[in-house]
Amino acid sequence: MTEMTPKERITKLFKKEPIDTMPIFSGQGMVTVQAIEKMGIRFAQVHTSAKYLARSAMVTAEMFDFDAVIIPYDLCNIPEALGRGVSLYDETEGILYPTVPHKWDKIEDVQIPEDFLTKGRLPMIDEAFQKLKAESEDGKFAVGSYVLGPFTMAGQVYELDLLLKGLRKDRERVLAFLGQMTDLVIKAAKHYEALGADYISIREMGSGSDLLSPRMWKDMIKPNLVRIFETLSCPTVNHICGSTDLIIEMMNECGADAISVDHKNTTAESRKKLGDDVLLFGDFDPYGLLVQGDVSNVEPVIKKCIDDGVDAVWPGCDLWPDVKKENVDAYVQTIRTYGKQASPAVGRI
Amino acid sequence: MATEEVRQEILKTLDEGVVEYEEDQVKEAAQRALDEGVNAYDAVMNGLAAGMEKVGNLYDQQEYFVPELLMCADALYIGLDILKPHITVEDLGDKPKGQVVIGTVQGDVHDIGKNIIKLMFEVAGFTVHDLGRDVPLEQFVEEQLRTDSEIVALSAMMTTTMMGMKKVIEMIRERNPNVAIMLGGAPVTKDTADLFGADGYAETAGNAVQEAIKMISQLRQMQA
Ligand code: B12
Repeated sequence: MTEMTPKERITKLFKKEPIDTMPIFSGQGMVTVQAIEKMGIRFAQVHTSAKYLARSAMVTAEMFDFDAVIIPYDLCNIPEALGRGVSLYDETEGILYPTVPHKWDKIEDVQIPEDFLTKGRLPMIDEAFQKLKAESEDGKFAVGSYVLGPFTMAGQVYELDLLLKGLRKDRERVLAFLGQMTDLVIKAAKHYEALGADYISIREMGSGSDLLSPRMWKDMIKPNLVRIFETLSCPTVNHICGSTDLIIEMMNECGADAISVDHKNTTAESRKKLGDDVLLFGDFDPYGLLVQGDVSNVEPVIKKCIDDGVDAVWPGCDLWPDVKKENVDAYVQTIRTYGKQASPAVGRI
Repeated sequence: MATEEVRQEILKTLDEGVVEYEEDQVKEAAQRALDEGVNAYDAVMNGLAAGMEKVGNLYDQQEYFVPELLMCADALYIGLDILKPHITVEDLGDKPKGQVVIGTVQGDVHDIGKNIIKLMFEVAGFTVHDLGRDVPLEQFVEEQLRTDSEIVALSAMMTTTMMGMKKVIEMIRERNPNVAIMLGGAPVTKDTADLFGADGYAETAGNAVQEAIKMISQLRQMQA
């Protein structure tokens, strides 16, 4: 059996061509404290320096033998570029993820600067991206990125309460606003595509059935996702966390190359609904399994994901940085061995 | 005094107005309750709050989702604003209603769950001081002292921010031992709440208020 490079493995997986073994990667942040400690920096520092951002992704992937690196780690970089500020908590010990301090509270105030891609930390992220691309030229890693979906992005820049109510109360204006956010997401995702992203995940995190009814999802979320996936030409993933059992088929109709769900999804059922030809990623709880759980739980949970019919075992959310090393090792090890068998949509060479 | 028939009709209109998130209907019915001499507390509890309870059930059954819940809340608040000034001390009797300081702790923007809990407290007749999300830890202490609230309710959805709750509890205990502190949010369990020294914990919005009422009576027994 010829070994593939991580990049080949992931590229072929997206094309549903046979691969040697299941790759270890995801569409959300994969940075760990072990890497940050090795670099001698603090978590808060990785969000503002191209060097640290790229290095921390690389060191984590090397340390744990992942197949991909993915940046950025926080969901605030585009809101910041739109002038919404960012709280980085540089003074705090421990891991606090950045947050958006100043949301708009009126839709009419929303303004998207033409040149937002040159604002805030976005140029820094581009630089980190280029570093990762340069360092992975030999196919050592696939380089991935993600952009929030339009609804989740809208909730990052505009008061979520108002947005949620507006979906019904102020329908026309909110639809127009979501359209504006869709243009923004397309522009950002196209930009990462142009920088050479090997895959892009669109994370419409806040749109699962914990928050929105399937009917509303169909009416107000789906059309925008369809438009995004139509426009992108690199491999794409449609990721939603939380409850997705009721919308899984509609997720599949959005046109992404793959679907990703978290542990709230009943994956074995979803596989049945979707058939064997659809790329499905998921679905373990990264915090519960890799931070809190005992190492002995890891193997059975990862095996169950594979048995339930995923084509790649993905964490349902960002890896929580404070993972136990032995748990991540077990997660990688289990996929390396148990992932040698073909998955529903992807054969083995 | 309104006849029983008129009273029932008004209560029903309030109840349905909340469930159907008809703000205008609630507004008119609340005003009508006052005009017809229906007791304001009765109108809140057996009209608005009764409607909200149904909304809670619809939400649990996945008939309603968060947008609907928030809209029902808006309709409820419109009625509350009209009726609340007419509720008297006698109406409340010896029911242990009190004041609550609530917020999502520093570093955490997840506030949907917190807003639902806030709503439940308001429906139950508590006065709620909402500090919002990403709240600096000291602010909970300051707001409790400023308002002399019996309860401080903390929400956190992430593990690190959950650790901030422990600090808040220590800080509050230092300044004022007679406060009931209640925790909630997805990563929080009964065990963590006990470990951090909290007085109460609730997994869902449904039992949060009962838990709070229990805590307040304990607090009052201690002080008496
Ligand atoms: C929606 C969501 C978001 C939205 C939040 C929007 C908002 N304004 O709230 C957005 C997209 C912004 C978001 C961002 C992030 N998120 Co998020 N998010 C979620 C998600 C999908 C749903 C949360 C939710 O609202 N549920 C619905 C409400 C109604 O339920 P609830 O909050 O649990 O509240 C109920 C109870 O807990 C209880 N309760 C809540 N508070 C209180 C308080 C008291 C006093 C009481 C008594 C009871 C109580 O009653 C409520 C009603 O029943 C969860 C996953 C999940 N399914 O839980 C992840 C999740 C919470 N997020 C997570 C993460 C990691 C993040 C980010 C760090 C991602 C990133 N890379 O930046 C950022 C956080 C940034 C920050 N610093 O805060 C992780 C946290 C992991 C962990 N355990 O630490 C979760 C668990 C996902 C996962 N599986 O890993 N997220």
